[in-house]
Amino acid sequence: MFFACRDITKSYGNKPVLKGVSLTVQAGELVSVIGPSGAGKTTLLNILAGLDRPDSGELRFAVPPSKKRPVIMVFQDYLLFPSMTVFENAAFGLRARNMKKDEIRRRVCDALDYFQIADKANAYPDELSGGQKQRLAIARAMAPGPSLLLLDEPFANLDPNLKQDAAAFIKRAQREFGVTTVAVTHDLAEAFVMSGRIAIMLDGALAVTGTPEEIHKNPGGLEAARFLGPVNRIPASLALAPGPGQGFTSGGALYLRPQDLGLRKDPQGEALVQGRAFTGRYYIYEVALADGPLTVHSLQNGIVPGDRVRLFIRESAPAAPPTPIKETA
Amino acid sequence: MPAKTTILLRLAPLAIPFLAVFCGGLVLAAAQSLGYFSPLPALPALSADAPTLSGYAALFHGLFPASFFFTLYVALASASLSTALGAFMAYLVWGLPGGFRAAATIYKIPLILPHIAVAFIILILFSQSGFLASVGHALGLVETPADFPALLYSGSGLGLIAAYAYKGLGFVILLAYAVLSRLDRRLIAAARMLGAGPFIVFTRIALPHMAQALGASFIILFLYAFGGFDIPYLLSESNPGMLSILTYNLYFNRDLANRPEAMAALTIMLLFSAVFVALYARIASRMKNTERKL
Repeated sequence: MFFACRDITKSYGNKPVLKGVSLTVQAGELVSVIGPSGAGKTTLLNILAGLDRPDSGELRFAVPPSKKRPVIMVFQDYLLFPSMTVFENAAFGLRARNMKKDEIRRRVCDALDYFQIADKANAYPDELSGGQKQRLAIARAMAPGPSLLLLDEPFANLDPNLKQDAAAFIKRAQREFGVTTVAVTHDLAEAFVMSGRIAIMLDGALAVTGTPEEIHKNPGGLEAARFLGPVNRIPASLALAPGPGQGFTSGGALYLRPQDLGLRKDPQGEALVQGRAFTGRYYIYEVALADGPLTVHSLQNGIVPGDRVRLFIRESAPAAPPTPIKETA
Repeated sequence: MPAKTTILLRLAPLAIPFLAVFCGGLVLAAAQSLGYFSPLPALPALSADAPTLSGYAALFHGLFPASFFFTLYVALASASLSTALGAFMAYLVWGLPGGFRAAATIYKIPLILPHIAVAFIILILFSQSGFLASVGHALGLVETPADFPALLYSGSGLGLIAAYAYKGLGFVILLAYAVLSRLDRRLIAAARMLGAGPFIVFTRIALPHMAQALGASFIILFLYAFGGFDIPYLLSESNPGMLSILTYNLYFNRDLANRPEAMAALTIMLLFSAVFVALYARIASRMKNTERKL
């Protein structure tokens, strides 16, 4: 165990924000706490950082953080020091430790090289792109050799096309430096890419903890499953039988991800399609069943309102050749 | 009406008083310092048709040089003291919890006091017949109030420096606090997490953020102390005295023939102030471009 928190509670005024959070993190792990806005993720992170105190509960480190091995948080908006250059920002933690100038220069240059901002050493933070600012913030945090690195919404200020790269980069850097890391984010895909373990926080409590695969297959509860993405609630009356690893059941109903549920045109089908919308990743069909309306999220194409369809469980589809697209200049 | 004329007319309420009072006064002072418009046309040296530098020359054979350096010292010391203390106190106030921060507005009191009132406070507190001397005597620390150390009129300028520093303190706090209130407090938390102690946080995070406001405050306070009259009228030593008092004496209390000398002193003060501001602006701009630390 690197640190463990047990039954942490925290309220602001009469509003409980954390309701008995327990989490154990092993040394060298990268754990992401994901959840919707207002779930209490940042409050938990602030408590881990020592910026806030829990009302009750216990936070215990195997080796308590010290000035030599501190807990350092990278804030959502990075909080780079605006009057210092990139080099000075990265060197700040080392200078605060009165390290020798040569040693500071060597370590900072290595860090800037690794984080791909060496050419910006003399620039000021307001001259950097979002991705460069993030890498500088992480480089600044890594330089003093923290025992625990905390990342608050590391992808919130990045362009969508940079988020996956940033997630992969953070994963690489975390492994390279071997720093135990806890991130809070509501960017699911990025959290899945970079994390060894994920904890879903809903309404001030951890709903489930596990590896990305475990969480995806078994989110532990309907709310957590819905947070991870759209799920189809299939009434028992349809008697669909999922294959291994497909869907989960709750309250007698079957829940399936869009990729596991298909619709097939069938004049004898049990559902009549009444509406269709495309989200960019899947379709949302409004269908009418004998026992009431149903919303279906599916990857199935080619169905239009007015069609009568049958719902079925999809098998793994063979890979289709990619569609060629024009390259942009 | 042509656009140019319209703009000039719109500027007139501002431009006419500026031209008449500031530029007119400046030209008149410079002209009198060179012997023009002299009150004593009978004196050939002072009523010459051609300009004469005798007013300037006379200055450098009199009390002016010592007075100039004394004034410079008082202005630099008081402005530096106000700026340094003001920056530190603004930081302390900024760091207070919300309720205390409101109570700390007590620092604004010196702002509403007239300069002359501040001079009287210093006089009443620190003179050898003042409050502290009486307390010292009552406590048996000095045999008579007159044995109390001569903090005022001792040639050290301490009274003047204290008065200007106190008067300027609230002004610096006001400006610096306004700037600090825009500083993200989490920067301090970030610096502390990275291992910075209170001194480094103040010097490396808060101070650079306040630097521009402190620079402007310093200039304003320096120029006021350099040319101010009211506080020196009560607290200035006589030899060397503050330039404003020397100029006043040259103009009113001695020979009319000294008036070009008084005007020469004023002109030099103005030129020095202008050069000082230009020099400061250049240094500050260079520092901003290269290091952004001030």
